[in-house]
Amino acid sequence: MPDPPRRTPAKTSERLRRMLVVVPYLIQHPGTAVAEAAGMFDLTEEELLDDLGLLFVSGLPPYGPGDLVDVDIQEGRIWISMAAYFSRPLRLTRSEALALFLRGTSLSATPGVPEAPALASALAKLADGLGPETLGELPDRVAAAATREPESLAILRDAVEGRERVRIEYHAASSAETSTREIDPEVVFSAIGHWYVAAWDAGADAERLFRVDRIRSTERTGERFSPRGLEGAGRSLYTPTERDVDVRLRLAPAARWVAEYYETVGDVQRDDGTLEIVVPAARLEWLERLALRLGRDLEIVDPPELRGRVRDLAAATLARYR
Amino acid sequence: MQPLERLVNLVALLLESRTPLTFEQIREKLAEAYAHGDVNSAKRMFERDKDVLRDIGVPIEVTATDVWDAEQGYAIVKDRYYLPEIRFTAEEITALAVAARSGGDTAAEDAVRKLLSGAEEGILAVIGAIAGPSDESTATLTAVGEAVASARRLMFGYRTASGGTAERTVDAFGLAVRGGHWYLVGFDHDRGEIRSFRLSRVSGSIRDVGEGNPPPEGFRAADHVVAGPWGVGEPQSLARVALAPSVAWWAIEGITGADVVETRADGWVVATIPWSPGESLAGWILSFGADAEALGPPELRDDVIRRLEALGA
Repeated sequence: MPDPPRRTPAKTSERLRRMLVVVPYLIQHPGTAVAEAAGMFDLTEEELLDDLGLLFVSGLPPYGPGDLVDVDIQEGRIWISMAAYFSRPLRLTRSEALALFLRGTSLSATPGVPEAPALASALAKLADGLGPETLGELPDRVAAAATREPESLAILRDAVEGRERVRIEYHAASSAETSTREIDPEVVFSAIGHWYVAAWDAGADAERLFRVDRIRSTERTGERFSPRGLEGAGRSLYTPTERDVDVRLRLAPAARWVAEYYETVGDVQRDDGTLEIVVPAARLEWLERLALRLGRDLEIVDPPELRGRVRDLAAATLARYR
Repeated sequence: MQPLERLVNLVALLLESRTPLTFEQIREKLAEAYAHGDVNSAKRMFERDKDVLRDIGVPIEVTATDVWDAEQGYAIVKDRYYLPEIRFTAEEITALAVAARSGGDTAAEDAVRKLLSGAEEGILAVIGAIAGPSDESTATLTAVGEAVASARRLMFGYRTASGGTAERTVDAFGLAVRGGHWYLVGFDHDRGEIRSFRLSRVSGSIRDVGEGNPPPEGFRAADHVVAGPWGVGEPQSLARVALAPSVAWWAIEGITGADVVETRADGWVVATIPWSPGESLAGWILSFGADAEALGPPELRDDVIRRLEALGA
């Protein structure tokens, strides 16, 4: 690629880009509050007022008093007139349109999203309004395979909203055990196809993450709690504990998906073609089961006791077949 | 005059003008902006401004202003500049904002800001993300989206299940999202058939290598990303599996085509589960440890037993 031509510093083009978007909104929605507009466009109030101050001296030739944009700010509300040419925003670029359409489709395929019906009609309007010149064949060639909404989702959402402690029957993959716990649910979010609830586990007196489809039943307790500000979407799906040990495994090529699926540290590619990974784990039960699944595609390096436990589980499982 | 003010005035001038304007006319009308200094440096400044505008998506067209093609005129074509009017309810624009934010995608967020002017009201409330970012990069998703939109042929490196990276040449037919993952579905030139590719496994850059063939009549991307415990693709027959009560209730949930046949007195559940010969279903059954047993067909049951014996049991 040749060097890009010299350009006005990014800041100017960035400001211009947002002005051509913010100004049409303000023309279409007269009397919008400064604070509201700033929040909606992710600007500080100062940035917004700076931009409007500049608009005030812009307009059309010969730039007499009657040719300039009229910006009126009174009691924190904005009115813009004399700028009919800025009353509609710039078209979406192709990548903006594609990104929004695809992210929207992805979210609408997540079961149990309360915004899904509104999202579906919004995407249909978007495809219709932008037309094939922007989205091409895309709307007809994108498919979202919906999965089912976990049963406990609605009641957990209510509990988050009402800050109410709930009693759940939960199957933990890590220990392969089902137990009843009392939790303070703070935030419900979806990550890579599953719903999770981040909560304070009253029995363990610690933060825990629960997969909603592994909650068999949820009961309200009527007790209120004060949120601790637990993190939701975007957090790591593994919550470290003080009891964590480093489990060191070697994966044959066919078992490499393990390194993608679980959170691992310090992956090392070895000369024999295996990948050595370290998985922090508080319980070993799920690793025994993983080892059963992977068979010869997995070699356990550490802790050595895990090897014996895998042999025991294999023997107990084989007993069912005898 | 500030560069920003000059640019705003230039956009206003070109949007309002009924005919294309030559640089001389622009210089005359925007006297304060381009009139100082010599003509050549003013022209260079104008060229840079034009690049900035094009960069942010302002469609500036250059046309001949006379039959001899002696002078060029500049215009902004209104139809290509203005976003068509799309009216959204407050719920719809809010849903789009949630989707854009959940993807952690700045291009999608920019799109929502542009669409806001067509909304009845603003966004309902300041909302956080309800979904974490997915595992494919925005650049990959957008590049593949572009290719599907205009039926292009792509070349890319793809990490295979066995750990290697293979070069693939694919006609981009469609995109499908399943279980939170995006897949490109298209004609794989190396295999000679329609295949699906998980975008998070695409490695390195994606190259557009020209026009692709269009998808066959009746093509549906969703048909090509069917998967389950039996592996990838349509299952061929049914297997019988017994599951302990502690795992049965969630293990069968969500598997298309799985059915409970009976619940035994001890609480164990016998289910039929779609199956294709291969190692996938045996691995799935083993992942429940002693909480599951393969009942049949015999080749599946024998495979599970063989794998357990190999573990030194």
